[in-house]
Amino acid sequence: MVRCLEKERGNPASAHRSGQRARRELERARERVAGLLGARPETIVFTSGGAESNNLAIFGAARAAGSRRRIVSSAIEHSSVLAPLADLEARGFEVVRLAPDRDGRIDAGKAAAAIDDNVALITLGLVNAEVGAIQQVAPIAEAARRARAVFHLDAAQAVGRMPIDVRSLGCDLLTMSGHKIGGPSGIGALYCAQETQVAPLILGGPQERGMRAGTPNLPGAVGFRAAAEEVASALHAETSRIASLANALLEFLLGAIPGLELNGPRLERVPNTLNLTFPGVLGESLLMALDLEGVEASMGSACAAGAVEPSHVLVAMGRTASAARSSLRISLGWSTTDEEIAFAAATIARVWRRVAAAEPITETRDSGVAETLR
Amino acid sequence: MNGRVLVAMSGGVDSSVAAAILRERGYDVVGVAMRLAPEPPAGSIRRKATCCSHDDFEDARRVAERMDFPFYIVDLREDFAARVIGNFVDEYLAGRTPNPCVMCNREIKFDRLWSRAMAIGADFIATGHYARIEQDGDGRRRLMRARDAAKDQSYFLFAMGRDELSRTLFPLGAMSKAEVRARARALGLRNADKPESQEICFVPDRDYAAFVRRAAQSRTPAPGRIVDSDGRELGRHPGVHHFTVGQRRGLGVASGEPLYVREIRAASGDVVVGRKSELNARGLIAEQVNLLDPELAGREIPVEVKIRYRHPGLPATLRALDGTRAEVRFASAGPAVTPGQACVFYRGDEVLGGGFIARAIAE
Repeated sequence: MVRCLEKERGNPASAHRSGQRARRELERARERVAGLLGARPETIVFTSGGAESNNLAIFGAARAAGSRRRIVSSAIEHSSVLAPLADLEARGFEVVRLAPDRDGRIDAGKAAAAIDDNVALITLGLVNAEVGAIQQVAPIAEAARRARAVFHLDAAQAVGRMPIDVRSLGCDLLTMSGHKIGGPSGIGALYCAQETQVAPLILGGPQERGMRAGTPNLPGAVGFRAAAEEVASALHAETSRIASLANALLEFLLGAIPGLELNGPRLERVPNTLNLTFPGVLGESLLMALDLEGVEASMGSACAAGAVEPSHVLVAMGRTASAARSSLRISLGWSTTDEEIAFAAATIARVWRRVAAAEPITETRDSGVAETLR
Repeated sequence: MNGRVLVAMSGGVDSSVAAAILRERGYDVVGVAMRLAPEPPAGSIRRKATCCSHDDFEDARRVAERMDFPFYIVDLREDFAARVIGNFVDEYLAGRTPNPCVMCNREIKFDRLWSRAMAIGADFIATGHYARIEQDGDGRRRLMRARDAAKDQSYFLFAMGRDELSRTLFPLGAMSKAEVRARARALGLRNADKPESQEICFVPDRDYAAFVRRAAQSRTPAPGRIVDSDGRELGRHPGVHHFTVGQRRGLGVASGEPLYVREIRAASGDVVVGRKSELNARGLIAEQVNLLDPELAGREIPVEVKIRYRHPGLPATLRALDGTRAEVRFASAGPAVTPGQACVFYRGDEVLGGGFIARAIAE
């Protein structure tokens, strides 16, 4: 990727030799990324990342939908899915948002039952970003195929954490993100099965088979390829190593923190993220205190101006706003070591005790003012 | 290391320099900006930035990056709404004129934020207030006016407890505003010449009556009568929340000589007006009184009392009536006394305590 940034100035769309070299690099990256999904290279559209892939899938399929006016999705999707759906809803589409169970799983039977000839698109996260639940999508794919509806999976959280095969998943569109698998940011891809009708969002050139105009991000694609190669060679071993580290961390914390709760299923999950509700503390406070001690965690969603809203995923899973505010995600990566897990476990237990003692959650005497000013 | 200190940062020059000074002195500084004001109503036109705006947080974050200390934004909107805005609205509904900055210091900065400081293992909390905390030979701490009399903010801090004084740092107490700005420029802080915020942070347009109406909704005071001291109706008014004792403008009543608001009777909705001389008070009764020196209780003490932030101060005699109330008698006839405002007692530069004005003692 660095060599590419330094040396490859060629435009893959140009006919001269440096352009041809660049084109070769881009197509090698496409083959490798396709290989990770069990897909053919010509089905891969490079994008700027997961958010663009989701936007392209949703708006693109909706624009190509003809007279079909319904979209089936869920209440626990990423904001780059929820926002396009809200936009389409305002333009006359009917959006069905399926509710998950307490563990963040969508009932595949209910989803399949919601799919009929008026459905243009089904869009679901294969792995939920916040709680790691893996959805069972086979019955949904089958129903989509029968209704001739487009089936999109947001797999940004799944690729690199579980084996992916677009044919066995039975999806027509699939989102992936470069940086989520250890590649650079600013690159992602949308798998787009050959016969699937999707209208492009960025017009003005023949790049990416007309699906996305603009000079391709070659350094990004090359970095994406390198990350995809690493995933392909180490996925199995790393997944089981991370699963055992995450389990060790979870077992320790369940023993050390009475009332601690894991959000999401114990089994049908990707192992890299633990979403935990810590009793008696504000997630925001615990996050700060842990960060100062060298343990990084994350929360549902905090906007740039610091307003903390309870996670829409946890609320949809039936948690109270207060429980959602007491929840943090601890993420493990391919670089996480045994020593780091031991350090994190001891630190989290110690810091939780301090935060719970110093700043217990108190119900605010709500005068009703906050509500009326909203 | 001198210990960990949580510095409350607004993005303004004062709290930025306070944080920078503590960092230079070897404290383990953790910068915190508080999200306090509620969101503007959805779909409203972007209003003038309040002190909790995104840009201000970015200014604070830049300072933290430049001075190399951690920085966080904390969301205290619910506590602020319940404990500060709620009180602000209730006070207006009761016909009084609140001081939300005093409430915010007492309820948010030195209470709610202190819990957060302990949660992150901090030993101290610091702000950019212009005030000093001095320590006696016997270890007792006294709250003192700032060296820069023009900037002194000790008035807003009277409600601090003695425990709070022992764990609070005011790094700017001995500096002038000009020195603070010069220091900010020397440190290369880009907010060195940022203008001061003057208004109440959650009412940036200063339209308090409109804010009260929006927050109180069905509890908003009804229109009422403007009467003179003998109860004669001189006119009508749109609701008691539009008025402050001592106010002259906006009465809408024609009269030979200037009329001022003398009293607000929330229960009946009457606003009583009178000539300036009718406003003079002999003293006041204060409630929610905090005495920083408990030995003062039960004695008559000569003090200087400030009855508004910009008030120059009056000689008076203070007598604590019971745990939370006090009587203040002015040495000579004083100006209009505005219920709801803070009154703060000084001996020289030392803050002896203060309270909220319950009512005037009439001539």
